[in-house]
Amino acid sequence: MRPSDPFFYLFALLALGLARACVCSQHLLRATLYLAGVLFCGAAFYVILDAEFLAGIQLLVYIGGISVLLIFAIMLTRGPDLLKDRPSPLRRNLALALSLSFMGLCSFLVLRTDWPAALPAEPHENPVRDMGVRLLNPGEGGLLLPFEVISVLLLCVAIAAIYLARPGSGEERPLS
Amino acid sequence: MKAAWITTALLALHSLSAARDWTQPTLAERAAEAAGRSPWESAFWIGLGLAGTLAAMTLLGLSLVYAERKIAARFQCRLGPTRVGWRGTLQTLADTFKLISKADLVPRDADRLLFFTAPWLVVSGMLLALVNIPASPLLFVVDLNIGLLFISAVGALSVLGILLGGWASNNKWSLLGSMRAGAQIISYELSLTLSLLVIVLFTGSLSLGEIVQSQQEGWWLWRGHLPAMVAFLVFVIASTAELNRTPFDLAEGESELTAGFHTEYSGLRFALFYLAEFLNMFIAAGLAATLFLGGWMPLHIAGLQTFNRVMDFIPPLVWFGLKTGGLIFVFMWLRWTFPRLRIDQLLKLEWRFLLPLSMVNLLVAALVLLLGVYGKGGPA
Repeated sequence: MRPSDPFFYLFALLALGLARACVCSQHLLRATLYLAGVLFCGAAFYVILDAEFLAGIQLLVYIGGISVLLIFAIMLTRGPDLLKDRPSPLRRNLALALSLSFMGLCSFLVLRTDWPAALPAEPHENPVRDMGVRLLNPGEGGLLLPFEVISVLLLCVAIAAIYLARPGSGEERPLS
Repeated sequence: MKAAWITTALLALHSLSAARDWTQPTLAERAAEAAGRSPWESAFWIGLGLAGTLAAMTLLGLSLVYAERKIAARFQCRLGPTRVGWRGTLQTLADTFKLISKADLVPRDADRLLFFTAPWLVVSGMLLALVNIPASPLLFVVDLNIGLLFISAVGALSVLGILLGGWASNNKWSLLGSMRAGAQIISYELSLTLSLLVIVLFTGSLSLGEIVQSQQEGWWLWRGHLPAMVAFLVFVIASTAELNRTPFDLAEGESELTAGFHTEYSGLRFALFYLAEFLNMFIAAGLAATLFLGGWMPLHIAGLQTFNRVMDFIPPLVWFGLKTGGLIFVFMWLRWTFPRLRIDQLLKLEWRFLLPLSMVNLLVAALVLLLGVYGKGGPA
């Protein structure tokens, strides 16, 4: 047993509990908080696996981006009275059947797959630098093309946001 | 174990003296190194790190609130606190006890779970960022190789806390305040991160320890020339906005929203929000000092041997304190000088001015690095 094992089981239990709470909560905003908790546990798993960079990105993208976006969307679109969602029995049973069959499929695939043995842990001198070099490497094993495609996409989004905010785009109305 | 105590005592002494060797292991590294030998020593270093962070948090909270009140008073031709302790130094301590002993009010229709969670989210986001700040080669809890990324990532917890706290209070002022705070923090996060990236480009590292080490020959503010200076200005403006401080304090806007997202909070939970606000100011100032002003590195001027030798005698902790303190004073100065912006002015400033500026600035920095004009950590 490695020293990180207790932490793995702790976070695994926490993630399971939070995931259940997220799915079963009838309160949309609370469900978002539980979801953020599950995603936080995901970041903890990455840390246990020595993938700190991925953990940082998980926090930044999923908690800082997705969860906050969800909360904003809920706050902007629904009044507090509508937040309590009561599903009909049909919807409830359908959801149960769907999620059970998905779980069955997943377990089947996990059990069927012959997992390759874990790679020998080679301690990287500087994992972040290695990853950066690999991302910008056009040769074999390099990921330059997908990296550039995503970068250009993000740049387009940022420029589009500036374009929307520039004076004279559409009718000028106060944002408050 | 005995060795650990002796090293701690030496640490305390050493951090006050002038240390020439700037590559000391951080507390986390000491803990990891001791883990194989004796788990107790490892636990000791971890405990020391935790206790030190909590002590630093308390002391900084108390002194920053006092400083803000004194400086605000001077700006308004008042004296500020004078009665409790020497020149009112114990005023914040007294106020803390007052806050703790206050009745803990929860609005009847508040969402209790979210209402109770929100302040802790904000405080944990702040604490997770605080442990990364290198105050001196020896007072450095953990040096992550993703340091800067981690600090911007845990900021997300604070945003989550502010949004949920404002919503859970079930009060229209709180809701408006938290929406404004959320929109503001998310918008300014963009230019903040882009200005950080300029220094990451120059250093070639995300680790705060390495960023400080890279400034031995000169601070990035001077060595990086124009891109670094622009990035520094953008960083200061954007972090003022991230901190919800005047002139960007419309999230609190006491004349229109009572107190914004923490209107309904009282007692200890209010104190937590308040503490996080001040500590986040310290983190922003400490980060700016680390990235642009050389962190704990003394001021060196190339060619002036004697001057540099004299500067080396000033301990690193004092250097860090001076730089961070100066920046905190700038934040307070801004707060008590400028009037508050309107929300549309605030969003226009970010999207029409700061964001394009910092994108162009990053591009210029990348070109400068590529052409090899200056900077290190270029294409490997």
